[in-house]
Amino acid sequence: MNRREAIKNTALLGGASILTGSLFSILQSCKSEPRLSWKPSFLTADQAQLISAMVDTILPKTVTPGGLDVKVDIFMDTVFAKLYNAEGQKALVADMDGFNEKCRSKFSKPFHELDKEQRTEILKAEEAGSPKYNGKVWGTAVGEQKPVGFCRSMKSLMLWGYFSSEEVGMKVLNYDPVPGDYLGCVPMAEVGRVWSL
Amino acid sequence: MPNFNIDAKKDMTYDAIVIGSGMSGGWAAKELCEAGLKTLVLERGRMVEHIKDYPTANNESWDLELRGAIGPEDQKKHYKAGRAGFIGENNKHFYANDQEAPYTEVKPFLWVRAHQMGGRSLIWGKQTYRWSELDFEANAKDGHGIDWPIRYKDLAPWYTHVEKYAGISGEALGLPQLPDSHFLPPMELNCVEKEVKQRLEKEFPDRNLIIGRVAHLTVEHNGRGKCQFRNRCDRGCPFGAYFSSNAVTLPAANATGNLTMRPFSIVDSIVYDEKTGRASGVKVIDSETGEMQEYLAKIIFCNASTLSTTRILLNSTSSRFPNGLGNDSGELGHNLMDHTYRVGAIGNYDGFEDMYYKGRRPNGIYIPRYWNIDAKTKSDKFVRGFGFQGGAYRPGWGAGANMDGFGEEFKDNLITNPGPWEFFITGFAECLPYHENKVSLDKQNLDKWGQPTLAIDAEWKANELALNKQIQEDALEMLEKCGLKNIVGFDNKHEMGYGIHEMGTARMGRDPKTSVLNATNQVHACKNVFVSDGACMTSNSCVNPSLTYMALTARAASHAISELKKGNL
Repeated sequence: MNRREAIKNTALLGGASILTGSLFSILQSCKSEPRLSWKPSFLTADQAQLISAMVDTILPKTVTPGGLDVKVDIFMDTVFAKLYNAEGQKALVADMDGFNEKCRSKFSKPFHELDKEQRTEILKAEEAGSPKYNGKVWGTAVGEQKPVGFCRSMKSLMLWGYFSSEEVGMKVLNYDPVPGDYLGCVPMAEVGRVWSL
Repeated sequence: MPNFNIDAKKDMTYDAIVIGSGMSGGWAAKELCEAGLKTLVLERGRMVEHIKDYPTANNESWDLELRGAIGPEDQKKHYKAGRAGFIGENNKHFYANDQEAPYTEVKPFLWVRAHQMGGRSLIWGKQTYRWSELDFEANAKDGHGIDWPIRYKDLAPWYTHVEKYAGISGEALGLPQLPDSHFLPPMELNCVEKEVKQRLEKEFPDRNLIIGRVAHLTVEHNGRGKCQFRNRCDRGCPFGAYFSSNAVTLPAANATGNLTMRPFSIVDSIVYDEKTGRASGVKVIDSETGEMQEYLAKIIFCNASTLSTTRILLNSTSSRFPNGLGNDSGELGHNLMDHTYRVGAIGNYDGFEDMYYKGRRPNGIYIPRYWNIDAKTKSDKFVRGFGFQGGAYRPGWGAGANMDGFGEEFKDNLITNPGPWEFFITGFAECLPYHENKVSLDKQNLDKWGQPTLAIDAEWKANELALNKQIQEDALEMLEKCGLKNIVGFDNKHEMGYGIHEMGTARMGRDPKTSVLNATNQVHACKNVFVSDGACMTSNSCVNPSLTYMALTARAASHAISELKKGNL
């Protein structure tokens, strides 16, 4: 990807009026602020610890940022607060309680207090029995979707939060806001990483 | 851009009035203005100027709190159209407010509307296909509906006329059931699409897999930029690379100096003059002030979109036309059609793991109709046919939710591995014109401006269901024979309207006793009123309709201009 070229092309074609939003943000440096603490909008402190622990287990920090580094847990809380309707929120709370209950009955501790092996064991068991998402055509699932369960739906939500974050979307994935052309057959080796958009 | 006529009092008389500024209204405005007619375009929604009013065109997901999703308030506002699954934070301003303008579903029907300058031309799918002789002859040959008063040869030069100006990309193939357009260079198929094409055309010699024919510029054209492959079309294109009224026809109309655009103008009715036997003008409600005004013109083009056009005609009553303007036949409001939608199959392709693509192509593949083309392909289960849209892609991180596992390896794999290739096809089947599939004025339920709303009463019948069954069987068979794995068939059982190709309700015909419009889109008994949007359609083919509306409109406008010159209107 060549960001400079993309900016140049776009500016030439559209004039100053389109140099807003994302393009403006390209021009700024993207600093990742360490998160010290946060105040959830929807979750209780205990529930926030559960969600944060799930994010950290599923998307840990490696050579690339972890889910907590890009505030996936905070994004999820925002989604619960602003995107879920009352019914969805109620079901979510019941699911979180139910999941922690499973952890307690097995290991006598809530999820966020479990060690890595225990977390792995319980998540694996949950995933093994969980239906998958149906295929999508133009953004809409095809056929009748079976409920995928708490863990897979949280996984889906945290992947969305992670890969749609600025840090990951621009620096980790292959970011090309104005491709200019469509090339149908390009060796993966030349592209390198998955496209961001 | 142009001459806003907000202070409406000073200028009430025009040569022509065009009701609606979308796909067909924009063409009417362009052709009439270019012929020197002072033309007033009435649009019920707000002004949308090209580029200036595309506020979300460069948003990234991380610029938005909910990363592109809409919250409960917006979901309520779009409680009908939201069912289509296309409305998000970046395009919500281009969809009508369903709460302000409700409609009644006597039977389930999805009506997706766009109330702003440019209408649905800002958010359409851009697939553009010519109809064939097969389509225009269909009603006459199998006896469903009434005969079209025109044939392919009547429309062919007008297809060329609009294509040359709009810019259509595609590949010429010489297929009789899908005539070639005047093409700009085609977009490219990706590796898996090329492979599936080869296998499909070998296994099924009478079928073709082609790149979609689309109203996107693949080269610069008439001062508009070429497609940048961002696939953010429904936010408005800052490059002007896809066809919309806002980017193409309205600026052309405006350049003549003959155009006046009046946004916030809801048409109440067309006024019929008993003395002259012609329409004299249009009654308009200012949607901001509620004030009613009357504009006068020699000719009126009604291009408000299929159902809105018919609502206006039904609401235009007089002693000559007690049941709606031009409704001598009793067919006004009847014969509503749409295409069936989201029946098909999806599967994985094993291979090409080392290959990917660059760019986000706003287009897919097309498999043209192959049933009931000739004696050899005749079905004994249904009449007419269907085509498929589809495509191959790698899901990227979107595959992650279905992958088992988590942790370091899981996460880093999603960054470097775009996931298995997926390929899907989904059918669009022709719908027969049934008198019983209808809309009527609902005077009990009024909208925010006190206007009668529409009650929509339509459903698929046996022929459409038989076509859908065949779509499903064929989709599964084709994917299997093309070597796809993990194939899943689907039929979302969508009601009418999901195709967003509503057509009919003021059909063209040869006989005023059975139709509303004549061969040049004039109301039979009120010749200075033209209808050339989807309402005029006598049958609905299986291909996407917008190109045909454009061509019919340019042809009707040419006729109107010539009749005016002759003093016949």
